[in-house]
Amino acid sequence: MTLTRRAALATSAALASSVLMPQRTFAQEQPRRGGVMTVHFATEQRILNPSLQASTGVYIVGGKIQEPMLDLDEAGNPTPCLAESWESSPDGKAITFRLRRGVTWHDGKPFTSADVQFTAMEMWKKIQNYGTALQLFLTAVDTPDPHTAVFRYERPMPLNLLLRALTDLGYVSAKHVYEGSNIRQNPANTAPVGTGPFKFMQYERGQFIIAERNPNYWRNNFPYLDRIVWRVVGDRSAAAAQMEAGQILFAPYSSLAIADFQRLGDDPRFEVTTRGNEGNARTNTLEFNFRNPLLADIRVRRAIAHAIDVPFFIENFLGDFAKRGTGPIPSVSTDYYPGADMPQYAFDRRKANALLDEAGHRRGAGGVRFNLRLHPAPWGEDIALWSTFIQQSLQEVGIRVEVVRLDAAGFLRTVYNDWNFDLATGWHQYRSDPAVSTTVWYRSGQPKGAPWTNQWGWEDPETDRIIDAAQTELDPAKRKALYADFVRRVNTELPLWMPIEQIFVSVFNKRLRNYANNPRWASSSWHDLWLAE
Amino acid sequence: MRVLALAGRRLAASLPTLLIILVGMFLLLQLAPGDTVDALIAQTGGGGDARVAAELRAFYGLDLSVPAQLGNYLWRLVRLDLGFSSIYGKPVSTVILERLPATLLLMTAALSFAFFVGLVLGVLAARRVNGWPDTLISTLGLVFYATPSFWFGLMAIVLFAVHLEWLPAGGFEEIGAGYTGLRRALDIAKHLVLPTLTLGLIFLAIYLRIMRASMLEVLSLDFVRTARAKGLDETRVVVRHVLRNALLPMVTLVGLQAGTMLGGSVVVESVFSLPGLGRLAYESVVQRDLNTLLGIVFVSAILVISVNFLVDLLYARLDPRIGAGQ
Amino acid sequence: MRRTLFAYLRSPSAILGLLLLLAVIGMALTADWFFPRDPLSLAGRPLQWPGASPRFPLGTDNSGRDIAAQIFHGARISLLIGVVATSIAIAVGIVVGALAGYHGGWVDDVLMRVTEAFQTLPNFLLLLVFVAVFGSDIMTVTVAIGAVSWPAPARLTRAEFLSLRNREFVQACRTLGMGDGRIIFREVLPNALPPVIVYASVVMAVAILLESALAFLRLSDPNVASWGNLIGLGRDVLRAQWYVSAIPGVAILVTVLAVSLVGQGLNDALNPRLRGR
Repeated sequence: MTLTRRAALATSAALASSVLMPQRTFAQEQPRRGGVMTVHFATEQRILNPSLQASTGVYIVGGKIQEPMLDLDEAGNPTPCLAESWESSPDGKAITFRLRRGVTWHDGKPFTSADVQFTAMEMWKKIQNYGTALQLFLTAVDTPDPHTAVFRYERPMPLNLLLRALTDLGYVSAKHVYEGSNIRQNPANTAPVGTGPFKFMQYERGQFIIAERNPNYWRNNFPYLDRIVWRVVGDRSAAAAQMEAGQILFAPYSSLAIADFQRLGDDPRFEVTTRGNEGNARTNTLEFNFRNPLLADIRVRRAIAHAIDVPFFIENFLGDFAKRGTGPIPSVSTDYYPGADMPQYAFDRRKANALLDEAGHRRGAGGVRFNLRLHPAPWGEDIALWSTFIQQSLQEVGIRVEVVRLDAAGFLRTVYNDWNFDLATGWHQYRSDPAVSTTVWYRSGQPKGAPWTNQWGWEDPETDRIIDAAQTELDPAKRKALYADFVRRVNTELPLWMPIEQIFVSVFNKRLRNYANNPRWASSSWHDLWLAE
Repeated sequence: MRVLALAGRRLAASLPTLLIILVGMFLLLQLAPGDTVDALIAQTGGGGDARVAAELRAFYGLDLSVPAQLGNYLWRLVRLDLGFSSIYGKPVSTVILERLPATLLLMTAALSFAFFVGLVLGVLAARRVNGWPDTLISTLGLVFYATPSFWFGLMAIVLFAVHLEWLPAGGFEEIGAGYTGLRRALDIAKHLVLPTLTLGLIFLAIYLRIMRASMLEVLSLDFVRTARAKGLDETRVVVRHVLRNALLPMVTLVGLQAGTMLGGSVVVESVFSLPGLGRLAYESVVQRDLNTLLGIVFVSAILVISVNFLVDLLYARLDPRIGAGQ
Repeated sequence: MRRTLFAYLRSPSAILGLLLLLAVIGMALTADWFFPRDPLSLAGRPLQWPGASPRFPLGTDNSGRDIAAQIFHGARISLLIGVVATSIAIAVGIVVGALAGYHGGWVDDVLMRVTEAFQTLPNFLLLLVFVAVFGSDIMTVTVAIGAVSWPAPARLTRAEFLSLRNREFVQACRTLGMGDGRIIFREVLPNALPPVIVYASVVMAVAILLESALAFLRLSDPNVASWGNLIGLGRDVLRAQWYVSAIPGVAILVTVLAVSLVGQGLNDALNPRLRGR
């Protein structure tokens, strides 16, 4: 199972076919109209509008109510949604979108280019996470007519980067709902108004969210479902129990316990898979603080990497749904993955000991060379397991690790703002293009306190040069080559280490049809989803 | 009328306590690493921007000095305004009112369960002191007392919800079922059976011990002997004379433990995913939502103070000596 | 003293409590001998059922650590937390209660307002805030538990002092010109102490339960093998590998039971009038 899946992920052609499979299997069945879809909602959100917040917790709800400029098709290529077609000027500084006609908001008002202009300038550029970085050089959005929007950039914007990014970061909000109000306080943030197949009905805090079928949806005769109910269940085991009781039909984004993935996977009523999440890859990190002179020494960083048996960890703790990572760009990124042929750090305890000896850290009392603190991010069961495993592994080579457990706010502040850590570990989220959320982990000059960016006190002019060149390179082949250079460089210097690659795991009740049929399915609109009897 | 005046005086007397709690809590939370903006950014999972973070801090009023923030808070409080919740984007009073029913229901159910079952078991044990029912009941009491509530809850879920499928594993009511009236009440009751048992267990153990002890004490008093000597039958003696007096320490305890129970509901609500105040409190600590947390502290303090007030009234009714003194 | 011991040993439940407590202390003392390796180190494949491998009589948890080793080493942590937190709570409680009860007047007013404030606030909520603010290493957690547990002993001490402060022997000390400190600690306190000491068993039981509840919410120190941590870890595998939570749960239950039984036995032995309650 593992092998076939991994092989499938290796090439985009295979990826496409694996995504297409369920379609073929159920091709004979007649879609059934009606029914209620129930979804596990693990953490409550302050905001449900994806124009303002780009995160899985928002997409799982807001992605059914609001729609993005573009979507991904079954093969993972950008495909029209609210934008029907697009073109870039030769210098890459003006990108024109033709918008879909005859689309209306849930309150009956027509969707126009003014909505796109307002959302881009007021929300993506000013508020949305990732969006503020992506649209940093966006100067204006021109609206020559109600169905055309021209994005004007100060510096060349690679079309492919923008198109891929806008599937996640291109959700449009209604101008008439937000204009003239304080955007952050607008009631529509938790009662979103969109153009999507489902209309927001009710959000009962701590309990559930309900959305109903939109009868005026622009895709005629869609959606099939009558209603979607998101159930707020904070406890992972309780959610698994509800899944088994049929009260929840879909648990997205690895929201259940790892042990339950194995268990439910053996149950014929469920399918446990990473399919449909290929667009949402993440890597587990090990971050080093260079202000600690011990860690500024590359021999110590390499020794730490050599001391940890990553394949053992994956096999025994994460199971089938993770694989050895080869660098910051994960293998699911068909456009930019540079291959596994990059500097790697295999498990070799003798080498680790030798490197530490060479760096002058002899074992003292109790075989301890020195002490380090490790701050694990408080999200994800895998991070907790991984931090324990790091602690256990480093103990074997004479490094005593103290795990410092903080809640989310404390973790972000302590690590990324106060720099008061030695080692930290969390997730790096890869978002379809390295320029969106990956290179910031390495580029120097990040403002202090910006989480998930280079706050390590590490600066490398060569890395900076490659990142900047790739950012504005318009030729896709050259961009890919630059990103290969980038991975080679950072794998050698090792300012942080990304040894595990994961894709979110979904658990589906097999009554669902047309599920997982695109690489960001959990985030997508579910207009063609239906429920068998 | 006299009761109202009494309540007013009681509330006035509690004001310094309330002030100590709120100011202390406010200052304590200033020392916590990270603020509500950090918690919000953590929810986005990536792509944080320092400029946006600074804007958000200004939006939530976190760019002011600590004394200014405290002053603002207290001034709003004087006007009975609990402020705006940063997690929920609504006034704190609305958020708390939404969550209060579940917690009150759970606490009342657990308290009644613990009180009445504790009372009956305590009386039974005291009537047959040192016999086998007494030994059995007392042992059970000790075991209940020693059981971590969350563990009992988890094991109860495994047994009753997963294996036997008798009761739901969590939640407050069946979502989207659209039940109304009696049907809905029954549905909610079904959802609250396990949480009530889980929260009530330790209190049951305490009440049964206290009840047994005070029964024994009262049974040995003169007036009981007199009552018996008058030829009243045993049940009547117990119900009319002994129980009334033995209840006094139990009632006192209810007042003392209202706060403990609210703390216990934090854990129970997160085990059973109930939308109550306890879980809201936990969330607001983690999310550094100062206004909501202080609001909950305020409401729970008022709750504890009023429970104690009710206990005092009840006490006066139960104990003729206190009534006479007034 | 001897009579007390004798009275204590006459109660079978008190003896059972003592035996259980000795067993827990025995586990804590022999932990290094039976399980010399660090209990948090990787011992084998994760989630092996108890008895599945002769090496792990109680199985392994989700991090591949030996559960039996964690139960033995965890006994140390639970006892440590219990004893230290209780000492803090009792010490603070005695000082506050003694000052309030002995002096009365405005001292009493101020101290009792603060005590009331602590009692009005749900103690678990306060504990959550303490941990969020000061972090969750084991000493912080222990001190925090002590810091939320002192009001009850304080009230108890105050009540004892109120009834003792106007007795003849105290009056006599005053007439002799003894200092307040000396009267409080040398003369009154020894008489006020017994009920407070007995109450300590309740504080200790609650302290152990509080730490386990914190650990259950994953807010306790991950660098020590505590029973609560194990229950918190087991929460994720509750449906299939329920033993990961069940075993430490039983350990907590037994320890708290032992402490309560010993406390009750002491109470009965010290207050012969109340025997049989």
